[in-house]
Amino acid sequence: MYYYSTYRAVLCACVFMMAAAQFAGCSSRRQVDYSSEVKPILNKHCISCHGGVKQSGGFSVLFREEALGNTKSGHPAIIPGDAGRSEFIRRLHSKDPKERMPYKSAPLSKEEISILTRWVEQGAQWGEHWAYVAPAAPKEKEAGIDFYINEKLEEENLGAAPAADKVTLLRRLSLDLTGLPPADNMMAAFLADNSAGAYEKMVDTLLASRHYGERWAAMWLDLARFADSKGYEKDAKREAWRYRDWVISAFNKDMPYNRFTVEQLAGDLLPDPTDDQMIATAFHRNTMNNDEGGTQDEEFRTAAVIDRVNTTMEVFQGTTIACVQCHAHPYDPFHFEDYYKLMAFLNNTRDEDTPGEYPTLRLYDSIGRRQVDTVAAWVAGHAGKDEEKEIRDFLRTLEPKIHAHDHDSFVNGELADTKYLSIRNGGSCRLKDAPVNGRGNLLMFYWTRNDGGSMEIRANSLTGPVIGRTRLEKGRGIINVPIEPLEGRHNLFFVFRNSSLEPLQSVCAVEWMAFREDLPGKGEPGYRTVETAFMKLVNAAPESVPVMVENPGEMFRPTHVFERGNWLVKGEQMQPDVPASLNPFPANAPRNRLGLALWMTSKENPLTARVMVNRFWEQLFGTGIVETQEDFGTQGFLPSHPALLDYLAYRFMNTHGWSMKALLKEMVMSAAYRRDSRSSPELQEKDPANRLLARGPRFRLTAEQVRDQALAVSGLLSERMYGASVMPYQPEGIWQAVYSGQAWKTSEDGNQYRRAVYTYIRRTSPYPSLVTFDGSSREVCLQRRIRTNTPLQALVTLNDPVFVEAARHLALKMKTSGGANKAACIRAGYKAAMFKDIDPARLGILEKLYAQAQAKYSKAPKDAAALVQAGEDAHLAALTVVANAILNLDEFLSKS
Amino acid sequence: MSAKLIKEANEQAARYFSRRHFLQNCVTGLGATALTSLLGGCNLFSSSGNGGGMPQSLNPLDPKAPHFPARARSVIYLHMAGAPSQLEMFDYKPELQKLHNQLCPQSLLEGKKFAFIRGVPKMLGPQANFKQHGQSGAWVSDYMPHFAGMVDEVSFLKAVQTDQFNHGPAQLFMHTGSARLGRPSTGAWVTYGLGSENSNLPGFVVLTSGGKTPDAGKSVWGSGFLPSVYQGVQCRSKGDPVLYITDPDGMDRDLRYQSIQAINEVNKLEYEAFSDPETLSRISQYELAYKMQISVPGVMDISSEPAYIHELYGTQPGKESFANNCLLARKLVEKGVRFVQLFDWGWDAHGTDEHTAVDLGMRNKCREIDKSITALLLDLKQRGLLDETLVVWGGEFGRTPMQENREGKEMPFLGRDHHAEAFTMWMAGAGIRKGVTWGETDEIGFSAVKGQVAVHDIHATILQQLGFDHEKLTYHFQGRPFRLTDVGGHVIKEIIS
Repeated sequence: MYYYSTYRAVLCACVFMMAAAQFAGCSSRRQVDYSSEVKPILNKHCISCHGGVKQSGGFSVLFREEALGNTKSGHPAIIPGDAGRSEFIRRLHSKDPKERMPYKSAPLSKEEISILTRWVEQGAQWGEHWAYVAPAAPKEKEAGIDFYINEKLEEENLGAAPAADKVTLLRRLSLDLTGLPPADNMMAAFLADNSAGAYEKMVDTLLASRHYGERWAAMWLDLARFADSKGYEKDAKREAWRYRDWVISAFNKDMPYNRFTVEQLAGDLLPDPTDDQMIATAFHRNTMNNDEGGTQDEEFRTAAVIDRVNTTMEVFQGTTIACVQCHAHPYDPFHFEDYYKLMAFLNNTRDEDTPGEYPTLRLYDSIGRRQVDTVAAWVAGHAGKDEEKEIRDFLRTLEPKIHAHDHDSFVNGELADTKYLSIRNGGSCRLKDAPVNGRGNLLMFYWTRNDGGSMEIRANSLTGPVIGRTRLEKGRGIINVPIEPLEGRHNLFFVFRNSSLEPLQSVCAVEWMAFREDLPGKGEPGYRTVETAFMKLVNAAPESVPVMVENPGEMFRPTHVFERGNWLVKGEQMQPDVPASLNPFPANAPRNRLGLALWMTSKENPLTARVMVNRFWEQLFGTGIVETQEDFGTQGFLPSHPALLDYLAYRFMNTHGWSMKALLKEMVMSAAYRRDSRSSPELQEKDPANRLLARGPRFRLTAEQVRDQALAVSGLLSERMYGASVMPYQPEGIWQAVYSGQAWKTSEDGNQYRRAVYTYIRRTSPYPSLVTFDGSSREVCLQRRIRTNTPLQALVTLNDPVFVEAARHLALKMKTSGGANKAACIRAGYKAAMFKDIDPARLGILEKLYAQAQAKYSKAPKDAAALVQAGEDAHLAALTVVANAILNLDEFLSKS
Repeated sequence: MSAKLIKEANEQAARYFSRRHFLQNCVTGLGATALTSLLGGCNLFSSSGNGGGMPQSLNPLDPKAPHFPARARSVIYLHMAGAPSQLEMFDYKPELQKLHNQLCPQSLLEGKKFAFIRGVPKMLGPQANFKQHGQSGAWVSDYMPHFAGMVDEVSFLKAVQTDQFNHGPAQLFMHTGSARLGRPSTGAWVTYGLGSENSNLPGFVVLTSGGKTPDAGKSVWGSGFLPSVYQGVQCRSKGDPVLYITDPDGMDRDLRYQSIQAINEVNKLEYEAFSDPETLSRISQYELAYKMQISVPGVMDISSEPAYIHELYGTQPGKESFANNCLLARKLVEKGVRFVQLFDWGWDAHGTDEHTAVDLGMRNKCREIDKSITALLLDLKQRGLLDETLVVWGGEFGRTPMQENREGKEMPFLGRDHHAEAFTMWMAGAGIRKGVTWGETDEIGFSAVKGQVAVHDIHATILQQLGFDHEKLTYHFQGRPFRLTDVGGHVIKEIIS
């Protein structure tokens, strides 16, 4: 974006001016600050050739140990304490264009050279980047948000705006905390309450509203790249809405952010995880899944894991690490290997890009749950607690599975569509190194339309001993094949037969297998019943949701570095670890996803709290304290109020105990938040982006809020919560995706008026009006929606039947309230939208529009009927035109 | 052309030099003047965000100067989704005919992965008859009889290579430079770099035919990490030509005009009270929306075209067809639309049924496009537009010289599997050499042996003709500058005049 880069340039210039000013005021002996003075120069002028990507001349300034090492010339370029003998400094002064650095660019300024020279003289110390040092306890006693904001305003000699009027303030607060305008009775109560605590009461009420969770889930789901489809070519449906509901409910319950983080990253690894904790892990099952025929599952499994690494670091650490896949980070202290060490935490899950999206959490109905209890009780009684847990875990997910794509050595058969075993009469395939490990049963999911099939399993070779055989009945289901319980791992050969088939017909399709031990108590009375119940449960098809399940030891998946980022070229094996430039890994934490989550939510982690605090700040104030909320690294912007960010981060962790509601309350209770948002040409000139907060926030509502607000003020909004995603009105012909047969069917019974957070999101064809207002298509994690202002948005709110219907309903409300009195009707309409009385100038404009419309419709009653869809009522039609205009006002579409 | 563009952009910049001057212009223009005159003065799109309220002194879609003088003003990109067989259209292989029905030599299969071929397939000779055409003597099959007359206008690239052999990822790679989702499409990059010449129309328009959207979905014209203002706008032959462009039933043009005027008058009051430049942007966006409502249906309506044009293209108004889209593409570039992207679905000739047989279904697909592509080139030429319009034709990959044997079985019809190692594309117009063939495949069309062209080279060349150094058209995201050509891309100098 053009102005984006301009702004960046301005900011950089400011940083340099500040640095220069400091420099001018001090003696040359003053200690140079690495982060604020040296690093910006290195980043701007040096690092693109001497950094993580390129090390021209064998010289890099990314890490101190590299910068002080020998270059290609055989000598170090920087000699700490001796600028005179440092080639690094000499080259800055050189007159020879072949020698002078930066090469082929303008020379550094005198000030820049002076900073670098003094820095080398002072020992060339690498300072820590501010964001990699944990926030300390605030120094100022009695400090609060306003202390830091006002301090800056005074420095800049800016006066703060007075508090916003009560109507504007409550509308702002309600939209911010619940995503919806305030209820009429709430507004009335607030206006009537003149007590000192009136505002705080509203804050508490809104934080306790069930709509609070819906509003903040809308923000989080962009980060979690939640969608109702799998993505890529087929983009088939995915049943993941329970994760969305989990997020809403977690916000509503005010689950502390550290717990919120742990459950999403590693809920499955908590002791005895609940269903909810399992569902939370769908956070990382929101990665895409490629079902296109002919695709290699391992390629897309790898893509999903890479996405998880990147998303984890972006969402929780505000760190962009994707470039480290191929080389050391060009600017930030992350080594190439760091990426794969992080990947090692996330690379050991059972999911393998299969069309069934396994592992899935199976949510049995009440009968099924009773059967699970029966089987578990038997196991507990005949074996023990561990065995009982094992059987419960297995029935929950049917994991670990071995997928068809693990087979090879196909004879007269193949992996059909790269998904299913498809072997013809007499053909076979091999499962290499199958972990039989003494288990005597093989569960197998298969289907066939033909009778007369059979399968035998041979160990070690195609002519090896038969260790199991089964008939393959016509039908579809999971069968148990008793096998000889061989110890250890073996190559198993599966031979399929059905001589009644045509030569090209396959005997059956097989999707997965799993090795199981016998249930305990074999041969005892009642065993058969339990075994039958077990197989019935295994064959049940309850509702499910994709979740994370860790590989058992026998299926451990090692992680290797990918040479130059190429997943096919594997290098050295990596152990799970965190970047050395951040806080140390907690001593007692396990080296798995749970440990990673504990590391991130440790109070020593410098980023987790800051990043989340900044995100909330951006939602309320329009811009983060760190504007580049996706990048807290050295290429990101410096915080506008560093001490405030640290203060809030520290309080979030320590005072508020990671309570997001408490944090939000502290923010909205500040005077800075409550200010009037009127700007002036002077203020606009000085602080156009309102970074200093001399005035209150004012910016366009989010895609979700634009829809929800129109439905709310017109009285159409359905407040129903949770459940499968819904399909509000969408024009014909939007969904034309290949090979799916899925259709957009407009929901009924009020479901078409649900809040936007419940709208079905298909990745390759997201809901048009949401995307037009910068909503995410949820393909990858989106950290920050860049607000745009386009004519296509105007077309949505003017003409989208959803908004026209809202106008129609608002007009009905207006007519009910004002009867035949046009001014009274318009007053009512404006008040319904903006909660305040319309001023005469606005009323005049809308009355004129009413008159124009009324004149038209009284002459064209058919048009009136077409617009209001309820009889030839010129008055109502004219009110609909006015209502449509009200729903398009800048003040209505903005939070002020 | 290029000089005109640069001049235009400079003038634009000068006009907005002083923000204060600019704001004054807008405010005094409001209400007092008629809507139309106001539009001339302050037609700014704005993308706020980031700062949330930085002064909007430049419309992100205002024309901008490229890096150096451009040869192309517009691009029309014709994508045959599903990947057409080069071996039945342009890459003539008599040797392959000799091997027809013989088992594929093992050497071709070793270490190779195919989407559907398993075991040892048979070779499949060309199913079309080839002849040399024009002065250049380019080979074109009898599937494309009309286009055969145009070979002296185009440069063929016979050895294009991709590294993806599945449709979704390959289409993403072809249009966004990455096989994974999340990057901006070529059209989005171009609109980001150049803006749009016509403020009444989107700068980047997408037209689809064949009954389906491309396999990779709308991401192939998405804006990725660029602001959404740069994404392609799908114009449709059925329903609203642009989503929500039609007024509600019972609302006529005059009343819509009056209501937008009322909205903007109130918004002006709002601006006077709050001084938020976003409000000013919104005022102009509503005016632009109104102008689009007037101009888009006109541009998208081909019924008023003369009979000889319909005859030339084979168009039938009101139908969703590739022919109609070709005519629309011409109309759109004529109106200054920067990037027109056509997707025609239905080229995936695996031979699983009649429609996907290279000798039946694919032949019909060729018939559908042959006349209209030829008409497009001729029509652009007769209007003097071909010199400034770059036309690109291709698929996401090519097809194998072997006959597909899905699941190791013989197929009921003649089909070819996906092939990433060598396929044909062509470009024409806007400084592309005429009557040139660059690149060669081996005698059976399996491997590229000379003049290999990578997907990023196609991107680099498109950008080059538009006046961009592909290494310098970048956007800072996730801590580093991104570009369409990632870390690759060489301009194909051999086809540039």
